[in-house]
Amino acid sequence: MESLLANAESVVARARTGDPDALAALYRAFEVPVYNLARRICRTTEDAEDVLQETFFEVCRSISRYREEGSLWGWIRTIAASKALMRIRRNKYRDTDELHDEVVGRRQEDTHLRMDLEAALERLSETSRAVVWLHDVEGYTHEEIATMMGKTPSFSKSQLARAHTRLRRWLGEEVVV
Amino acid sequence: MTHLSMDLLLSLREPDSEPGTATAREHLNQCPECQAELHRLHQRVARLKALPTLRPSRDRWPETGARFRAERLRRRNRQIGFAALAAAASVVLAVSVTPKRAVVETVGSGVNEISQAMERSRTLENALNDYNPEGRVLDGRTAQVAQALEDRIAALDRQLEMTELAPEQPKDDELLQLWRERVGLLDALVDVHVTHASNAGL
Repeated sequence: MESLLANAESVVARARTGDPDALAALYRAFEVPVYNLARRICRTTEDAEDVLQETFFEVCRSISRYREEGSLWGWIRTIAASKALMRIRRNKYRDTDELHDEVVGRRQEDTHLRMDLEAALERLSETSRAVVWLHDVEGYTHEEIATMMGKTPSFSKSQLARAHTRLRRWLGEEVVV
Repeated sequence: MTHLSMDLLLSLREPDSEPGTATAREHLNQCPECQAELHRLHQRVARLKALPTLRPSRDRWPETGARFRAERLRRRNRQIGFAALAAAASVVLAVSVTPKRAVVETVGSGVNEISQAMERSRTLENALNDYNPEGRVLDGRTAQVAQALEDRIAALDRQLEMTELAPEQPKDDELLQLWRERVGLLDALVDVHVTHASNAGL
């Protein structure tokens, strides 16, 4: 991911002094992965775009504190994930998968409702989807997710198991014995 | 036969095995259904990773950059308040410890002029904040001029920061020059916002 930014070291050094061109270069290099992460976690494109803006505002403010101990993308990604999680906490959407279970879930339990992965992922609650994305795609551990969410690792594990159980069902992958 | 739960299947994918996974692994080795389930889990994760990358529909950098620049201006404004106080204090100190009138006058006038430039800078920024340029719509040419002025102010602020952070004491005339330049640019920026004068200061 670092390869997205040519001369990363010199760009970061200039960004630390507040150089607008260097800050813009950081944005251009990481705009798409940050948006993708935000959009996979947040419910709407508007929320994801706000997270994108919040993330880079924070990057501009804090770049002088970036110590180059980990990768630049790792540092920016953690800011983006935290902002996205803050956004979903603030929104407190009604979990649509839970709604589905309450209203029509039981009726459809044995019918193997088939949908594609995008639609199934979209249908998960924001919390479950965040855990799935951060763990399975971005590679965060349950401990790291728990820290970001202010929950326990067990919470992260149970959310992941619950999400996969639902995805399996919605994708029609359940084996009928 | 009891098959492995999703929790256990997921724990088998973790790099550090947890207590209890040994029994689960033993079951897995003998159970084709659980092997198939674990395979499906691997496949599902692989498909998640292969989902297309989503891209923002519009460019958010202009807003983000402008917000950051505005915050820098506000921060600089706050620093000016403290710096002006410190400058005033140093004049008092210089007057009280230096017996030679000529030296006092020279030092005093330099610092005084810097304090005045800082104060003027602060006044202009307050005027700009009161005008709330971020909440108003500008035509393309005016916005371009305002952006160019803001960039020059940001560059000047960086120069001021470097001068103030330098190990050797900054020279009064050097600081005064920078502060005067800042006042000039801010003046032009206020002018651009208030009168929409697109040729101001450039």
